[in-house]
Amino acid sequence: MAVVASTSQPHHTLWGDAFIRLRRNRLAIAGGIVILLIGLGAIFVPLISPYGYAKQDLDAILQGPSWGHPLGTDALGRDVLTRLFYGARISLAVGLFAQAIVLAIGLPVGAFSAWVGGRVDNIIMRLVDVMYAFPDILLIILLRAILGGTIYMMFLAIGLVAWVNVARLSRGQILSLKQQDFVTAARAMGASGHYITLRHLLPNSLGPIIVAVTFNVPRAIFAEAALSYIGIGINPPTPSWGNMIRDGYDVIFAAPYLMIFPAIAIGILMLAFTFLGDGLRDALDPRLRR
Amino acid sequence: MLKYIIKRILWIIPVLLAVAFITFSLMHLVPGGPWDRDKQLAPQVVENLNHKYGLDKPFVVQFKDFLWNTVHGNLGVSYSYQDRGVTNILLEGLPKTATLGIIAFILAILIGIPLGMVAALKQNSAVDYASVLFSTIFASIPGFVLGILLMIVFSVELHWLPTGGWGGIKQIIMPAFALAAMSAAYIARITRASMLEVMHQDYIRTARAKGLSERVILFRHALRNALIPVTTVAGPELAFLVSGSFIIENLFSIPGIGRLFVQGIFARDYGLVMGAILFYALAVALVNLIVDTLYAVVDPRIRYE
Amino acid sequence: MAPLLKVDDLATYFYTQGGVVKAVDGISYEVARGETIALMGESGCGKTISALSILRLLPASQVKIVAGQVLFDGVDLLKASKKEMRKVRGGNISMIFQEPMTSLNPVLTIGRQISEVLELHQNMKRRETVQEVIRLLNLVGIPQAERRMRDYPHHFSGGMRQRVMIAIAISCRPKLIIADEPTTAVDVTIQAQLLELLRGITRELNTSLILITHNLGIVARYAQRIYVMYAGRIVEHGPAQDVYRYPGHPYTAGLLASVPRLDEPRKTRLTPVEGQPPDPLYPPPGCPFQPRCTYGVPQCQRSKGDFVEVTSGHYSSCCLAQNGVTPWEKT
Repeated sequence: MAVVASTSQPHHTLWGDAFIRLRRNRLAIAGGIVILLIGLGAIFVPLISPYGYAKQDLDAILQGPSWGHPLGTDALGRDVLTRLFYGARISLAVGLFAQAIVLAIGLPVGAFSAWVGGRVDNIIMRLVDVMYAFPDILLIILLRAILGGTIYMMFLAIGLVAWVNVARLSRGQILSLKQQDFVTAARAMGASGHYITLRHLLPNSLGPIIVAVTFNVPRAIFAEAALSYIGIGINPPTPSWGNMIRDGYDVIFAAPYLMIFPAIAIGILMLAFTFLGDGLRDALDPRLRR
Repeated sequence: MLKYIIKRILWIIPVLLAVAFITFSLMHLVPGGPWDRDKQLAPQVVENLNHKYGLDKPFVVQFKDFLWNTVHGNLGVSYSYQDRGVTNILLEGLPKTATLGIIAFILAILIGIPLGMVAALKQNSAVDYASVLFSTIFASIPGFVLGILLMIVFSVELHWLPTGGWGGIKQIIMPAFALAAMSAAYIARITRASMLEVMHQDYIRTARAKGLSERVILFRHALRNALIPVTTVAGPELAFLVSGSFIIENLFSIPGIGRLFVQGIFARDYGLVMGAILFYALAVALVNLIVDTLYAVVDPRIRYE
Repeated sequence: MAPLLKVDDLATYFYTQGGVVKAVDGISYEVARGETIALMGESGCGKTISALSILRLLPASQVKIVAGQVLFDGVDLLKASKKEMRKVRGGNISMIFQEPMTSLNPVLTIGRQISEVLELHQNMKRRETVQEVIRLLNLVGIPQAERRMRDYPHHFSGGMRQRVMIAIAISCRPKLIIADEPTTAVDVTIQAQLLELLRGITRELNTSLILITHNLGIVARYAQRIYVMYAGRIVEHGPAQDVYRYPGHPYTAGLLASVPRLDEPRKTRLTPVEGQPPDPLYPPPGCPFQPRCTYGVPQCQRSKGDFVEVTSGHYSSCCLAQNGVTPWEKT
C-alpha cells in the first residue's frame, strides 16, 4: 500500500488515515451498521423465522401487523417480515455481486485502454460512448429478456451495463498516473508495463473506484427492484422486494402496508449504501489528508 | 461555436446507428418470437406470419430494411397492435412521457437551485442542515419508492388524488413530484457546493472591494459562476428523467412510451421495442447536445475551443 | 495637516480551533494626502490583513477586528455602517489585489467590470460609461481599448489583468489606493511597467498609495515612507531613504543585508535572516523578533514595543535602539 512519510507527523498509511476518518463520520457508520444488520438478518432468516417464504396460510390472508406476524401477511397468507428478509437476500446479492462483474470487466478494460493508448484507446472509448447513449435500465431489461430470470442472470444483466462507469474511472486514473514521476522512475529501474500497472498504478487508483462501486450498489438494487416490479425481474415465488410491491399493488386499498414495507426497505438499504459511499469518498479524498 | 454544434450533431448519427444495431441484435436474441401467445399457433401460421412481415429474411437484410424505413420516418409495424404503425403508437405516447419529464425537470430546478443557494448563503444555519439532510435522503431514494409512499398517503389514505391515469393536474402531480425528487435533491447539493466555492473566490472579494451590495454581488457575480456546474449535470438529469420515467409511468398507469416499451418486451414486439429504445437514445442525445450548448453560453471560457 | 488615513492601534485576531492568532497586534500608521507609503514585511506578517481590516473585507466569520481606530478623513471606518462602508469602498478607497489571475470574474467582460464601479459611485448610466471605460483602458496602457472592453479576463495576460485592476481602482478617483503586492504575481519586466504606471497616476491625481510588498527594491524606488512589519507589529518606520541607510531595527538590517549587492565580490555568500517567523499561536514574550535576533539582550523579553526616535521622523521599537545602541551594520 502507498505509504507517505511526512516530516513532522506520525506515520500513517493512506488506508489507515482513511479508516480513521471514516470512523468519525456518523452517517457512514450508521449506514454500515444498517447494511450489516440487514445482511445478518438475510443470512440467518431461515434459522430465525418460523415461516418459509413460500408457506401459504390461506386462513390468515391480508392480516395487518400482529404479534404472530410483525409485519402482517400477504394475499396468500405468507408472512411479510420473513419474505422481506428473503427479499433482502436478493437485493444484497444482486447489489454486491453485480459489482463483481462490473469490476471484472470495467477495471481491465479501462486500464488496458489507458495503458495502450492511441487508436485502441479511441475505439474502446467510442464503444463506451455508445453504451452511455443507452438509457441503462432499458438495456438491462433487454438483457434480462435474453438471459432469463435467475438470480445469476440478473447479476450478469446489470453488470454488463454498469461496467462503463468503472471503466471510465479506471482509464482516467491510469492516464493521469501514467504521466507522473514515479512511473518514470519505475521504468528507469527496468520495470515492465504489466509490473507498473499492477504494483504501482492500481493501488493508487483504487480510492475513487471503491467509492464508485459503493455508489453503484444502490443503483443495482434499484434496477433489480424495478425490473421485478414490472414483472421481468426475478421469477416468483422467490420474493424480491420488487415482486412484493407488484403483488401489493393489486390489493393496495385493502392492505396498503404490503406495498409500503418493501418500498421502505428499498429506500433504507439504498440510503445506507449512499451514506457509506459518501463517507468513503470523504475519507479517501487525498486532498483532505493532513 | 457553430462548428462545435455541427460536430456534435454529426456525432449523434453513428452513435444512434450503433445503438440501433446493438438493440436489433439483442432483440433477435430474446428467446421466443413475436407470435408467442398462451395458445400455441400452428407452425404453418407462424411461418406465414413471419414471411408476411419479412422476419424470415437474413438478419442483415432485416436490419438494412429497418434503417431504410426509419430514415423515412416509418418505424415499422407493431406486432402486437397490428393495426397501427410503431411511429403512430410512439407518437401517441410521446406527449405524455415528454410532459411528465419536462414538468419533473422544471420542478427539480425550481426546488433544487433556490434550496441549494439558500443553504450556501446561510451556511451552518438550521436551513442549511435541513437542506443538506433533505438532499442526502431524497437523492438516494428512488422516485418509485417515493411514488409508492405518495400514492399510499394521498390516494389510499386521504383519497385526495387518484392512483393513476392521465388527464389533469390531479393525475400528474404525484408522478411529477416522485420523479423530480431525486433530481431536485441532487441539484440542490450541487448548487450548494458550487455556491459555497464561488463565494470564496477572489473575484467576489474584488466585487466587495468595489462597494457593490450583497444583492448585486449575488446575482451579477456569483450566480452565473455557481450555475456552471449545475448546467453540466442538468443534461444527464433531464436525460435520466425522460428515460427513467417509465417506471413511474407504470406505477401511476400513465399511457406513455415507458408503458409501451415494457409491454413490447413482454410481447416480443420487435418493432415497438426498437422504436422505443431509439426514441430514448435520441432524446438523451439531443438533451445532452442542448445542455452542452447552454454550457458554452453560460461559461465564456469554453466558447473558443 | 491632518493625515488622510490614520490607523491607530489596530488589532485583528483569528479565532481558530487551535487558539487565537493575533494576526495584527496593535499597529498604527498614517498616510498623508498624495503620499506613497510602503508596508513591508515577510509573508504572514499581517500586512494584508491590516489592509483588509481598513476596508473591513475580512474573509471569514472567525476573523474579528478587536481594537483600534481607522480614521479616514476624520471618520472612524470601524464604526461606520455597512452602507457607509460600501460608499467608501471603490469610491474613496480602492484596493488592488495580488492575484490578477483570479481577481477578475471570468464570466463578465472587463468592460462590464469597470463600468459597474462607474455606475455605482459616479451615478453614470450604462451607456455613458462606455467612453470613460475606453479612456481608462487607454490610461493604463491597454491597446485597442474599444475592442478589448468586450473581451473576457481569460483573453488577457497576468500583466494586462493587473492593468485592468488598476483601471478599476482609479476609475472613481479615490483618495487612497491600497495595492496589496500588485506585482508579485507578474514578470519582472511587467513589474516595472505597472509600478511606473501607478506612480504616474498617483502623482497626476494626487492619490495616496499604500504599497504592500516584501520587495525591498520596490520600496526604495516608489515609497516616501516605509513601515516595517514583523509578526503582526510595526517594528520600524520612517522616511524610506533614512530607514535604508540607517536601519533602526535588527530585522530591517537583516533584510537589507540579505539582498545581494552589485558592488560585492561575486563569491560572497548570501546572508539570510536566520530562523523562522514565530508560531502565530504561541508568540514569544516581549519583542517578537527576539528569538531570531543576534543582538538580543535579556531586556528584549520584557520589551513592550514602544517606539524611540532614531533620527528625525524615524522610529524603531528595538530596545537596543532605545538605549542609543545600534550594533548592526549600517549600509
